[in-house]
Amino acid sequence: MAGPGTLLALRSELDARWQSMLGVAGVLGLLAGWQLVAWTVAGGSFLLPTPVQTVRALGELASSGELWSDMLASVQRVGIGYGISLAIGIVFGVAIGSMAAAEAFFEPQFGLLRYIPASALTPLFLLWLGIDEPPKIALIVVGTVFYNILMVADVARSVPTTLINASYTLGANRRTILRRVVLPHSWPGIIDVARINLAAAWLMLVVAELLAAQEGLAFRIIRAQRFRQVDRMFALLLVFGAIGIVSDVVLRAVKKYGFPWARP
Amino acid sequence: MSTPKLRCVGVTKRFAGGRRSPGVLALDGIDLEVRQNELVCIVGASGCGKSTLLSIIGGLETATSGIVEVDGASVTGPGPDRGMVFQGYSLFPWKTVQENVRFGLELAGATTQEQQARTDELLAVVGLADFADSLPRELSGGMRQRVAIARALAPEPDVLLLDEPFGALDAQTKRSLQEFLLTIWQRTSATILMVTHDVDEAIYLSGRVYVLSSRPGRVAEEIEIPFGSSRGTHIKRDPRFLDLRDDIEEHLYTQMVEG
Repeated sequence: MAGPGTLLALRSELDARWQSMLGVAGVLGLLAGWQLVAWTVAGGSFLLPTPVQTVRALGELASSGELWSDMLASVQRVGIGYGISLAIGIVFGVAIGSMAAAEAFFEPQFGLLRYIPASALTPLFLLWLGIDEPPKIALIVVGTVFYNILMVADVARSVPTTLINASYTLGANRRTILRRVVLPHSWPGIIDVARINLAAAWLMLVVAELLAAQEGLAFRIIRAQRFRQVDRMFALLLVFGAIGIVSDVVLRAVKKYGFPWARP
Repeated sequence: MSTPKLRCVGVTKRFAGGRRSPGVLALDGIDLEVRQNELVCIVGASGCGKSTLLSIIGGLETATSGIVEVDGASVTGPGPDRGMVFQGYSLFPWKTVQENVRFGLELAGATTQEQQARTDELLAVVGLADFADSLPRELSGGMRQRVAIARALAPEPDVLLLDEPFGALDAQTKRSLQEFLLTIWQRTSATILMVTHDVDEAIYLSGRVYVLSSRPGRVAEEIEIPFGSSRGTHIKRDPRFLDLRDDIEEHLYTQMVEG
């Protein structure tokens, strides 16, 4: 096992045992700190529940069924909205990254639109699309699509010119090259983009559910606040964190096992 | 004499300049030809436009003026009649060796059986049958270039264009690939035009050498290499080989110093 000297070396490899031990230690440390602060500073006040109280609240939410329907509603919104956003991002991103004309035409406008905070569009969407699902989906799409487009464009741009030239000399036309060379080369990068911008999709979901919703994780947090159920609020925040970690792990695995040629 | 397989007439390339610069004349009236089954090299100092010339012949760049003909018919865009091998990193990294070789055959609309037969045949020729299912990243640099050559040969091009294909390889690998190229050339009776900055390589491999001068790129000399089809390391000690090499290197060096 590595000594403390090698443990703190810069850019060195860490063996798997140390890696998982440090990870677990970090999480336990965080929980211990939380527990300590809840006992000492907050002095047992309901405003700062302990980890144990939070887990108990989570159990209640789960057994009442609220947790699952809220989770389903939120995951569905993010799934649909972010799915649309990614699809648009791939189409425009690949076009911008591969064709100078598309780049010249689209990049300035998307660069501009990107700086309009999507959350500022919420009132407009409510006016245009009502208070049901459409404005929520739209908010998630608009809040992430420009980042997806511009980052996918960077991925497509990094396809080596030699690969495109080689394809031309083998008899490929432009469409074939986009579909059979640029896209396959870009998939691993696109998965990274999807993973990074997913956090922004959840951010927009919260904005949407805080304003108008009948169910959903963020809606449930507002609801718990009204009844001063801080332990529930904490439990729901943990759920957000857990969903984030799971999707991150899944997307990393898809990249690693689905595209072994792109491993570093 | 029969029509040359490949012919360039007055190929000129001027890169457009900005508002205040007149642009750069990269190639100035290049005339050259490659006959059926010939192996011809173009040598020149770096920056003489030899890669640009090959790109124009391959159809990847357009000439400002002049024509390129294959079998007497003028060509413009890229096409499978002119197979091309690049200096490096040109294999599709997500495709296995055999999928790389097969790509051009799929594009040509060959049947699955034809594709498989041709791919197997080529992999045997380049000695990589055992690596059919490997990814390019699992191969050495020399093996990758052998795959690139097999891939370029797959659609049975009229001419094989090689753009400094061994430039990025170490000396030993380079030598073995030179022998490999000669073998391929003899076995497939391909017509080959290769660009290189390595004078030894040019003399050793080809029947004729075009020496390109720099800025603008012009054909400075066209040299017949007097060794016929007999090749082997012994010719590298032949006095005629050494004289030719000195002449060409002297020429390129003078060019560089004056440029």
